Amino acid sequence: MAAELLRESYDIQGRNFDKAGEISSEIKALLSGLGLDAASIRRSVIVAFEAEMNVVMYAQRGTLTVILSDEAIDLEIRDVGPGIPDIELAMQAGYSTASDEMREMGFGFGMGLPNMKKNSDVFRIETEVGRGTSVLATIRLNAHG
Amino acid sequence: MVELKHGFKIDVDKCDGRMHCMRACPTQAIRVKGGKARVVPELCIDCGNCLAVCPRGAMTATTIPFTALDKFKFKVVVASPALFAQFGLNVTPAQVGRALLDLGFDAVWEYAVDIELIDRAISNTIKAWPGPFPLISNSCPVVVRLVQVAYPAMVEQLISVDAPREIAARELKRRYAQEKNLKPEEIAAIYITPCQAKTISILQPAEGVTSHLDGAVAIKEIYNDLLFRIRHNASKEDGGETFLGIGEVFHWGAPEGEFPHLSREHYLPLTGLQDVIKVFDDIEKGKLRNIDFLECHACPGGCIGGNLTVENVYAARSKSLRLSSVIPKPTAVFEREVSRRFAAEDLSLRGSLRPRRLEGDGLDLRERVSRKKRADELTRGLPGVNCGLCGAPSCRHHAEDVAAGRADVGDCVFLSRDRIETLRKIYVGGKSQAGSPAGSNLEEKPKNGGQNVR
Repeated sequence: MAAELLRESYDIQGRNFDKAGEISSEIKALLSGLGLDAASIRRSVIVAFEAEMNVVMYAQRGTLTVILSDEAIDLEIRDVGPGIPDIELAMQAGYSTASDEMREMGFGFGMGLPNMKKNSDVFRIETEVGRGTSVLATIRLNAHG
Repeated sequence: MVELKHGFKIDVDKCDGRMHCMRACPTQAIRVKGGKARVVPELCIDCGNCLAVCPRGAMTATTIPFTALDKFKFKVVVASPALFAQFGLNVTPAQVGRALLDLGFDAVWEYAVDIELIDRAISNTIKAWPGPFPLISNSCPVVVRLVQVAYPAMVEQLISVDAPREIAARELKRRYAQEKNLKPEEIAAIYITPCQAKTISILQPAEGVTSHLDGAVAIKEIYNDLLFRIRHNASKEDGGETFLGIGEVFHWGAPEGEFPHLSREHYLPLTGLQDVIKVFDDIEKGKLRNIDFLECHACPGGCIGGNLTVENVYAARSKSLRLSSVIPKPTAVFEREVSRRFAAEDLSLRGSLRPRRLEGDGLDLRERVSRKKRADELTRGLPGVNCGLCGAPSCRHHAEDVAAGRADVGDCVFLSRDRIETLRKIYVGGKSQAGSPAGSNLEEKPKNGGQNVR
């Protein structure tokens, strides 16, 4: 594995819709400040935003860690929350357990996890019902970007 | 790399370094060193905020002086629709057109056809676009530059249809060259502009081609002359009736880049740079995918709110609404002309838009990471009050400038006493002792400032 150049962690508070999206904005600022290629930044920010929203919607709290190496951006999201009983089902586009309240706020269309996977080169998800969920997403840097 | 041009210049003699511009700049492109403002060219998006806030008028738009037009044999106006909203409610577009001719222009272009052409081209492009959505309008040069500088991943979403003003200039040269038996270079296509940003889009188009327009004249610059002639003509009997055709300039009073063909549901008009930035941030996170097209204008209220207009934006809007309410439906002649030209012309952008190259792009990733870490470390040692006395808009920017080797960390007054002494000399004058002369001077300043506010 390529050497780690930079690691930054951010805390996400569950149910805090008011602040939702701020951490992905910070990650965008971090990555563009580093002058990474536009496509990798775009994909990372989409993954970070969906992950942040999932924690805000379902979990009590979580952390999002960005790890940069010469070759890739790794995003690690770990939350303390209900976990996902059926991951296969949750990974299907359009499947959602969002409440009416969340949908009214414009969230929960069942595109979160599939969208994260689509925008990652490596996507791993582990979950334990009643404990929480961890996601590791790797976005390779585009050397030609 | 080609040197980046901007649509304004700073008069160093007038600049007294009070930092209004630095604080108003949305892309943090201004530094004030040695009591003088300067622009970091690759960060400037030509929004014009600095022009508006400078109390000394030290920043001015680079429009072309009216006299510079004399070298052309035939001068044609392409007028921003914003021009027609600048005058009283009873002044008609025909009267404004007549006054433009009196001012020395040889023709006023029927811009409505070009606007309609672009409207159609945009609708077609949206229908054929595979994604990502939304597409973003490119008629506001500030929006284009904002995307190039701050949202590089969204550059492909800028729609690749040319601006109506460019299509108009190309066509008018073709037509008048034929009609008047002139060479195209003897014909001037002059844009009457509501903002300095359009001048930069003529001087140096973002897509890297040469503009069809030959220059821009500010609405502000000709306003008084036009008003005088409108009044003068109105007192005569003919009242502008001899000028035919001008009634067809705008069929709907549609501001450039507004698209009646698009369904309201999938089309968002946005005005004001702050709002545009907010929405772009959301797009970057993958939101708003259900919107097809964003029509974005950096000025609040759109082009009628441009910094080279005269009338306030609300009065201008009222006038503009009135104009569109009385203008008749398009004639058959108009429709035929639109169809003929739509079939004959290529309306796509002639070059491709790319992210702007920024300072540090050439460095390898490790160097950039170590700069960032150095800047983080420096930031922790700075006061965080963002006073601007170091010459950068915030402590963070100062830290970044230092890490990149562009500034000295000791420019921070909290870290260096000498810096205060230097600033005292620049801002308070040569009396460097903290005793009576400089002291009394310091006390006078706020009083004067207070009177100005009232």
